[in-house]
Amino acid sequence: MAPTYTVDRPLAGLKVGLRHEGSWRSWMWIVDEWEGYLRADGAEPVVLVAKGRVGDEGAETRTNVAAWVESIDCGISGLGTCGSCTSNSVLDAVSLEDAHKPAVVAVCDEFEKHGRNMATALGHGDLKHLVFPYPLESRPEKEIREIAAEYYPRFLDLLGVTR
Amino acid sequence: MTALQSPTMQVDDDPMAFYELSLEQRWGDGAPLIPPTDERVLALLASTPYAADRELGLLPPKYGTLTVELAAVNATMAGVEPEAFPFVIAALEGVLSPEWNAYALTTTTSSVHPMLIVNGPTRERFGIDFKAGCLGGAAGRGSMTIGRAVSLCLRNVGGQRPGETSRTVFGQPARFGLCFGEWEERSPWPSLAERAGFDRAQEVVSVHGGKGNFPFADVNNDDPADLAYMIAKCIAFPLNNWYLEMTGDSGQLVLVINPIWAERLARTFPDVEDLQGYVHEHAWQPIDLFRPTNQQVLIDKGRVDDKGRVYLCGRPDQLVPVVCGGLGGLHGQALTSFVQSEIQSVEARR
Repeated sequence: MAPTYTVDRPLAGLKVGLRHEGSWRSWMWIVDEWEGYLRADGAEPVVLVAKGRVGDEGAETRTNVAAWVESIDCGISGLGTCGSCTSNSVLDAVSLEDAHKPAVVAVCDEFEKHGRNMATALGHGDLKHLVFPYPLESRPEKEIREIAAEYYPRFLDLLGVTR
Repeated sequence: MTALQSPTMQVDDDPMAFYELSLEQRWGDGAPLIPPTDERVLALLASTPYAADRELGLLPPKYGTLTVELAAVNATMAGVEPEAFPFVIAALEGVLSPEWNAYALTTTTSSVHPMLIVNGPTRERFGIDFKAGCLGGAAGRGSMTIGRAVSLCLRNVGGQRPGETSRTVFGQPARFGLCFGEWEERSPWPSLAERAGFDRAQEVVSVHGGKGNFPFADVNNDDPADLAYMIAKCIAFPLNNWYLEMTGDSGQLVLVINPIWAERLARTFPDVEDLQGYVHEHAWQPIDLFRPTNQQVLIDKGRVDDKGRVYLCGRPDQLVPVVCGGLGGLHGQALTSFVQSEIQSVEARR
């Protein structure tokens, strides 16, 4: 099984990747909130919008994921709140671990088991999962941004950020 | 003679004994299976040029190693005629192509599943239905078993099980296995395989990641362009998967056209590209059709053009006509797209 990694240092100065697919508004609001938190904590957020997985779009996505992985120190990939989006979120988080970088995949609890199954199938059974309530989508924006605040410290803990 | 590598077990020589064991062991799809005796499996292996131990690839979602032998075992259980086994191999090669995207398609909440479309001179010989009832009910052996063999490989080798590794919400009838042919002789256009670069003498399987079959009917339009226009509006239904995406540039939708409609349409659209272009030109919805929040989502994704149109997909060639079905006319179907999957056409090798 592939190893996992932790940051083991303070957040300031780190480049932290935030990956979304442009689909789930709830996750994009959380990413938006976290961008602000990370900047306030002295880190640099690097947002990746992972688009299609096949054809010309797929080739572009693979290039963009590789560049994102290269450009960051650690990151989170989400959102797993459907079958294929969980699978793809895991896939891109695994790309981070393959580059020996701390990685977290964001999933909703209904899809946690699926995320762990897919991570195991890819040889990364210990991939860290940040588990959000389900369903996250369709909640009011204000509530989602409150959830973002609540889960931000848990995200940093999973990355292994020291205080 | 090839020595089979698969583990064996003894079962009473009674059809019910093997069926009940398959239910208990969860090998099957709920319907009766044919016991894969050595003799039966070897008969299938004799019809392919591939060695039994050849690895076709790692089959998602659990990345089981799919060998030709395991494909033959599952095809035997599905009831595939030995000489039709090359179609199963070709279909599995299509499923395993990275551009078919089995990793996502076998795990999604969607109902998507491999839908197999066969071209070539042996469709009738193998019972691959392309006339009346070809999408279900015609009961040709090839149609009922080849797609089923692929489904059993996904289940038994790939580990695809609804509610476990597959998050499909509903599934669909095609998850038992869907395989049909194109009625090439009644098509006014080059066949699907020819458009993919093959010739009519080749046996070709095209694997489409289809969400389901969406039927439509018409008796109100006499003009072929009017009919094509209405087909375009019909397939651009507002909750189509394509409208969920950041772009409409990936994937295909198969337009199942009956031979009578094909003949009518060809009077106005003698080249299939003309039909595809016309349908694409009209396959959009006005942004005003969508509710305000949905409108904003589409605007944010850049899906609305300067005339307020939200196009279903990016290019005409993503709308793929296939001619088949009975001569009663009147009806068409769309095999709708998961979008994140490209049709793969593969020759069945003997």
